[in-house]
Amino acid sequence: MASAQTALDLLVLTVLGRRGPLHGYGIANAIEELSDEALRIDEGSLYPALHRMEESGWISAEWTFTENKRRARLYQLTRAGKKQVAVETDRWSSLSSGVARVLRHA
Amino acid sequence: MSWLSRFINALRPKPLDDDLRDELADHLERRAADLRKQGLSDEDARRQAALRFGNATQLREQSREIRLSTILETTLQDLRYAVRGMRKSPAFALTAILSLALAIGANTAIYSIVDAALLRPLPVPEPERLFTLATPNIEEPGSEPHMERESFSYPMYQQFRAAAGDSARLALFSYLWGRQSVQIPDAGAPVERAVQQYVSGEAFEILRVSPALGRLFSAEDDRVPGGHPVAVISHDYWQRRFHTDPHILGQRLRVGETVYSIIGVARQGFFGVEPGKFVDIWLPAMMYNKAALTSPSWSWFRILGRLSQGATPAVLQARLQPALRDHDEELLQRSPTLPPSIRKQYRDLVLRVNPGAVGASAFREIFARPLWIVWGVAAGILLIACANVASLLLARSSARSAEMAMRISLGAGRSRLVRQLLTESLLLAAMAGGFGWAMARLAAPALVAMLSRENDPVRFALAMDTRALLFCAAVCTLATVFFGLLPAWQASGAQPMLELRGVRAQAGKLRLGRFFVGIQVAFAFCLVIAGASFLFSLRNLFAVEKGFDAQGVAVIEVSNELTRKEAQAVFLDQFQRRIAALPGIQDATTAEVAIFEELTITGQVTLPGKPPSEKYEIFYRISPGYFATLRTPLLSGRDFEPRDRHARGTGQPVPAIVNQAFAERYFGGENPLGKTFQRAPVNHRIVGVAANAHYASLREGAEPIVYTPLEGGSYFALHVRSPLDLGSVVRMVEREATAMGSGTRVREVTTLETLVGNTLLKEKLLAGIGGAFAFLGLLLAAIGLFGLLNYSVTRRTKEIGIRAALGARPPALIFLVLNDMFSMIAAGLIVGLVGSLAFMTLVRSLLFGIRPLDPLVITTAAAVFLAAAFIAGGLPASRAANIDPMVALRHE
Repeated sequence: MASAQTALDLLVLTVLGRRGPLHGYGIANAIEELSDEALRIDEGSLYPALHRMEESGWISAEWTFTENKRRARLYQLTRAGKKQVAVETDRWSSLSSGVARVLRHA
Repeated sequence: MSWLSRFINALRPKPLDDDLRDELADHLERRAADLRKQGLSDEDARRQAALRFGNATQLREQSREIRLSTILETTLQDLRYAVRGMRKSPAFALTAILSLALAIGANTAIYSIVDAALLRPLPVPEPERLFTLATPNIEEPGSEPHMERESFSYPMYQQFRAAAGDSARLALFSYLWGRQSVQIPDAGAPVERAVQQYVSGEAFEILRVSPALGRLFSAEDDRVPGGHPVAVISHDYWQRRFHTDPHILGQRLRVGETVYSIIGVARQGFFGVEPGKFVDIWLPAMMYNKAALTSPSWSWFRILGRLSQGATPAVLQARLQPALRDHDEELLQRSPTLPPSIRKQYRDLVLRVNPGAVGASAFREIFARPLWIVWGVAAGILLIACANVASLLLARSSARSAEMAMRISLGAGRSRLVRQLLTESLLLAAMAGGFGWAMARLAAPALVAMLSRENDPVRFALAMDTRALLFCAAVCTLATVFFGLLPAWQASGAQPMLELRGVRAQAGKLRLGRFFVGIQVAFAFCLVIAGASFLFSLRNLFAVEKGFDAQGVAVIEVSNELTRKEAQAVFLDQFQRRIAALPGIQDATTAEVAIFEELTITGQVTLPGKPPSEKYEIFYRISPGYFATLRTPLLSGRDFEPRDRHARGTGQPVPAIVNQAFAERYFGGENPLGKTFQRAPVNHRIVGVAANAHYASLREGAEPIVYTPLEGGSYFALHVRSPLDLGSVVRMVEREATAMGSGTRVREVTTLETLVGNTLLKEKLLAGIGGAFAFLGLLLAAIGLFGLLNYSVTRRTKEIGIRAALGARPPALIFLVLNDMFSMIAAGLIVGLVGSLAFMTLVRSLLFGIRPLDPLVITTAAAVFLAAAFIAGGLPASRAANIDPMVALRHE
């Protein structure tokens, strides 16, 4: 579970890092698009992750209004978030290489 | 999201829920819109979007939890951090907590009294519909203006009740006279004291107070004069005196000459309608003096009533005003000698219907202004304490600037740092609040005791309740914002690059520090001036030439059961002669009442061939030996003699002794001895002239007094001058009283000094609290000053070292620091002086013998303040003088 969460966090942070401010829907689409639809997340589960990362200070959010006057929340990477990307990337590579090693030698 | 909005989230989850819902709705809309573009029908697009989204409710729940738990978690983290910070510098924490605790404690204690006395509504249903009646006071020429007259006569009350009709119900509540004697009518039962009040039959009904036991009065208990010997007691008295005896109903009580039986106990928490007093026993108004029930000039009660649904005070006023006019017109016709200025006032009298939610209180009339002032002073202390802690925090933050810089460069946001620092401040304030609360709990009753007189205790429902607790918490929070926000903002603005290079941006910090010290100096100087004025006022009052020597005079009220005037007169002479002959007693005399007891009998003076005087003069009945006992010089003529008691009715003028002020007013430069005047219907001849003496107040100048012979009376005030203590004197008098027989009994016991002191309670309160707060403010300001100077010397160590190396002598270095100090306090002193001018104007009526800008007060205050400043500045200055150039230059 922890690693799945880490993976989602990493994806979100990377997307925000590369594409700039996005709303939740945009993030979900970007993840699907980038993974060639191989990775289809349950869209709703994105939001608790976003809120958790917001509370941790990795991303910040602000309310904007859409063209048809709906409130929409725009997420953006913070300085702390940028550092976190580096940390998470590291952790992910070591985890995935570990998993790969097990798969290879088991 | 700022800490503030998070805090709001935690308190009000509602907007958070709205936010989450909006965000998810936005997502679903967008997805559905995209799907529609791909060709799906509207309905399918929506279903598909929801499907892809998953369980929205569960996710919303998750998100909510995340946000709230993070708030808790970071708060805990901040708290831990704050506690660690305090442990690291206990001296700082202790100073900060102590000064805040004193300030918060003072404010809470005074608030709890202000609340109980002035703000809290009576504990009855719908208190906002209650009202009291009042008229402007009738001013005699030359007398001090009073606020309002709330006393009315019984005929007036009846007329008002009839006039009010269905717009309101009116009840009467007699004035309270301290604790009066009451006795359980069994053989040998001691005389006890209890606060008694006469009320109209419907009083409890109108207030909507229910019984805890038995029944309360109804209209039926208040019909026939003298015909309803029933009493209701308070729950408090029931507990205190009768230990909540369930069989109390039917218990008999002797009050005065009447035996009452208890018919009920009022419910718990109801103490009467006078905040400041707890009534023990209520009696029906019909049981009051019979003459008072018909006399239109005997005003003995207040009127408090309840407006009917839909009625307004204006409607009621319009109904009652004609009744007042009729009543006054009748009164004017009955009293043809009233001076024209007073007649005019009666004609113009406008009835006021005042809000009665907080009851009617004699205490309030006297102490409302002093209490507001004391509260204002306490608020000043709080500001000083806040500024003090703010400057302490600033000084500390400079020690932590490297740490802040580090955290900022590691990516901590400014708001996060401010939030953390504020948590620290809040913790300080909370701890101080805890101590302050404990202090207030002890201080408030002590403060109330300061306001009490012997035999007339002031009591409040001082339950340190939620209102006081809320106030205390609000003060803490406010204080946190005051002292925490600026330093936190400044600290969190540390610039990492400069900081890590060792360049400190201290100019701003010092500027802010100076600002805080300026505030402290201004307020503290203001407080010192205020404290000095109140102390000097009290001293001036004590120094007033009273015209008598109060020290060593016991005032013992004595009653007997003699009814014939002749016998009473003989008794008085015998009794005072026997007391005077006792060992250890220097002089003894009797008088109708004691002076300084607020009991004054006045009358108009008519000189032969002239109209009655405009002024009502004091007529005071005394016995032979009065002037000797009180050490009031008799300037010419003779003292009274026993035979003077019988002068009335002989056809001869009754001898009178007047004081100088009277002689001057009515006879100018002429010798008054042998002159006659009339106080209708009695003629007087002046047989002696006494020196001026104060009668009821030290504030007013010597008033004219006419002394006349005390002719008799079964209740009188024995005055005894003796070097012995009060207890021994009273024991001797009691023995003598028993020996005299005729039911002679000692009633009230006090000393003349106490009586005089009782008229100075307000001044003593202000001097005591003003003095204490001035000292506290001074102490806090000195600590603040010391802290900042010390910091400034540390910062300038290098500069001072260079100066020392270049040959500056220690005095020059000391001067350097003190100069720095003066530049810090000068502005504060000026602001403080201006502020205190405004303050003095505001409280002028409470001062005595003090001019605004009184040079003595200001010089004393300035001297005290500068002395404190020198002590505060002396330590850093001597440190500066002892700086070793070599060490200083190697520093940093």
